[in-house]
Amino acid sequence: MRLMLVLLLFLGAAPVMAQKLTTTAALANAVNEVIRPGFADLRAEAHGLVDAMADLCAMPSADAQQLAREWFGKTATAYGRVEFVRIGPLMEDNRSDRLLFWPDRKGIALRQVQAILADEDASATALDTLRGKSVAVQGLNALEFVLFGTGAEALAGAEGAFRCQYGATVAQSISGIADALSEGWNAEDGIAAHLMAPNEAYADYRTETEALEALVSLISHGAEGLRDTRINPFIAQGEKAAVPKQALFWRSGLTMAIAEANIEGLEKLFAVSGVALIGGAADSGLDNSIRFEFSNARRAISLVTGPVEEAVADPKQAQALAYLVIVTQSLQTLVGEQLSAALGLSVGFSSLDGD
Amino acid sequence: MWQRRAFLKAAGAGFAASLMPRQVLALERNELVFASSVQTSSGGYGAVLLGERGDLIAQIALPDRGHDTTISPEAGRGVVFARQPGTFALVFDPSGREAPVTLTSIEGRHFFGHGVFSLDGRLLYATESDFEAAKGVIGIYDATDGYKRVGEFPTYGTGPHEMLLMPDGVTFVIANGGIETHPDYGRAELNLDTMDPSVAFVDRRDGHLVGQLRLESGLHQLSIRHMAIDARSRVWFGCQYKGAPSESPQLVGYATMDGEIRLIELPLDTLRDLRNYVGSVAVSADGASVAVSSPEGDLLVAFDAEGGRPVLVETLRNGCGLAADGAGFVATSGMGEMVGLAGAERDRQKFDFAFDNHVLRVG
Repeated sequence: MRLMLVLLLFLGAAPVMAQKLTTTAALANAVNEVIRPGFADLRAEAHGLVDAMADLCAMPSADAQQLAREWFGKTATAYGRVEFVRIGPLMEDNRSDRLLFWPDRKGIALRQVQAILADEDASATALDTLRGKSVAVQGLNALEFVLFGTGAEALAGAEGAFRCQYGATVAQSISGIADALSEGWNAEDGIAAHLMAPNEAYADYRTETEALEALVSLISHGAEGLRDTRINPFIAQGEKAAVPKQALFWRSGLTMAIAEANIEGLEKLFAVSGVALIGGAADSGLDNSIRFEFSNARRAISLVTGPVEEAVADPKQAQALAYLVIVTQSLQTLVGEQLSAALGLSVGFSSLDGD
Repeated sequence: MWQRRAFLKAAGAGFAASLMPRQVLALERNELVFASSVQTSSGGYGAVLLGERGDLIAQIALPDRGHDTTISPEAGRGVVFARQPGTFALVFDPSGREAPVTLTSIEGRHFFGHGVFSLDGRLLYATESDFEAAKGVIGIYDATDGYKRVGEFPTYGTGPHEMLLMPDGVTFVIANGGIETHPDYGRAELNLDTMDPSVAFVDRRDGHLVGQLRLESGLHQLSIRHMAIDARSRVWFGCQYKGAPSESPQLVGYATMDGEIRLIELPLDTLRDLRNYVGSVAVSADGASVAVSSPEGDLLVAFDAEGGRPVLVETLRNGCGLAADGAGFVATSGMGEMVGLAGAERDRQKFDFAFDNHVLRVG
């Protein structure tokens, strides 16, 4: 009994050793537990969106419009949880731009969508001819204008028939791409298989190190993208005044919901893959540090409660947005540089960030 | 080539005396000097001068990440340009006698990481972005007047990257990568569906467009980024493909002032391992060989400039920097390695800093 007590005391006093993972396990976790389910969710939500738009066009009403708007929100946030997986299927066939044409500094999508609506351009209401148009009129930001932009109230009645048909066609386009993404991630000899079991013969991932670099860079670049394309463009900085209409989805009020979805998706990819528990990284303390920064990011987002136009004018919310910029920068450094170094990778330097 | 004797001559009397004894010894032993931007092990940024044998001759701290370097023996100065979308360029005295001078890009412009001196060293030119208009410009700086910005020329394209001075001394060649970026959006690429890359020849005296070359329209997402000039004044360029990753277009070609532009046919397995990304291009000292690197594919490829046949394919983890080195090339990597290839005899060396994408043979 005494021996057991001593043993327990000894075990209790020993430093807590981090549970270690193999690279193989982390890659499999990322693909099977995060990426594939994430794209499956997007596919399911996009199908719901197609149905909701079809219902709205068949029987226009304020309730049907509200339902379509809700499905838009579900689809957009589902995409927000995977949009940073910018490898493989999402990078084929201009799918990323066709799903969401953003950043759109010059307001190209707005101009082109307004022209389609003003001209009642019938070629935008059939999937095959919509496909031949500018990528800016085929995706989520085009549909957001249809559902929430100037004139959207017409959707509740017969006068919105063309607008609805165009929106329904855009929803079909989004759904078709979501199908292709999910199928691409489930293809037998596709990117998922290559990422989980790299091979010298593959054109994309020859070694586990390359696959791990790709995974780590998704997280690092995802944090960078959130900061550079979703937050920085509309908040006040130095002498630059806030420009809330430069925020993604300001019309639908989904700006911060998408930011939150980004953080949720990135955090899940980081935590569930266990990428910071591989080899030497496991003893670096980075797993805790990075989780801490993700929780800070979530906390900052939760403080932004109003529409972006109000948020940038409210000191407390504006401060939370400014803090989110700092946290995402910190995440980029922690993952892209420190974790990368602890794993013996080179994600943040000469490769994978282009120049 | 800025060999040791020429280096001392360019730096002027008193140069060696100004160095620490260890650095003097390093210079005594070396024939060539190389310059590169680096990231230190503590995460800071800087630029280094290295001797042929890898001796650290000098190290300068930078306020942020640097990219390429240019040197003028005539001006007795080197310049490290900030990586895009950076706003600084650091003018330094390789001898260390004069304190570095930091240039800041003017309102509405940022640097792209590359630039060149006029042959007489009196003017410095840098590729810059007029980001509100999404147009490339060449910023002109007077080296004889504190590097005051004295004007600019258009690059006749968007997203200019590397620029070189042709051997005639009056014509710039500029790689317009075709990619629009804006500092409000960090490094996000804003126009991948409508990219229009080109090679532009521009007269440095008045900025007029001498000629502009584009690849076939189906290759509009092939961003032309880096260049080197061979013995026949052909401009070799390396590209980065921004289209679907499952596609593998050829990535290396040459352009001439006679209006020819073509991609050479690299073997498919070599092309595959370049991963749609060429990070640096160099021509050998005799102008007869060309080398390209891919830090994404960990690959270095050298081929003869006449037939385009690969003469060497070597792996270097995160390898990108390339410069002529006597008989062959020197290559540097983001993992802090420096190696010789294609006839350059040098031991593989490891430093405690990471090299940025380019290494310059000084001179």
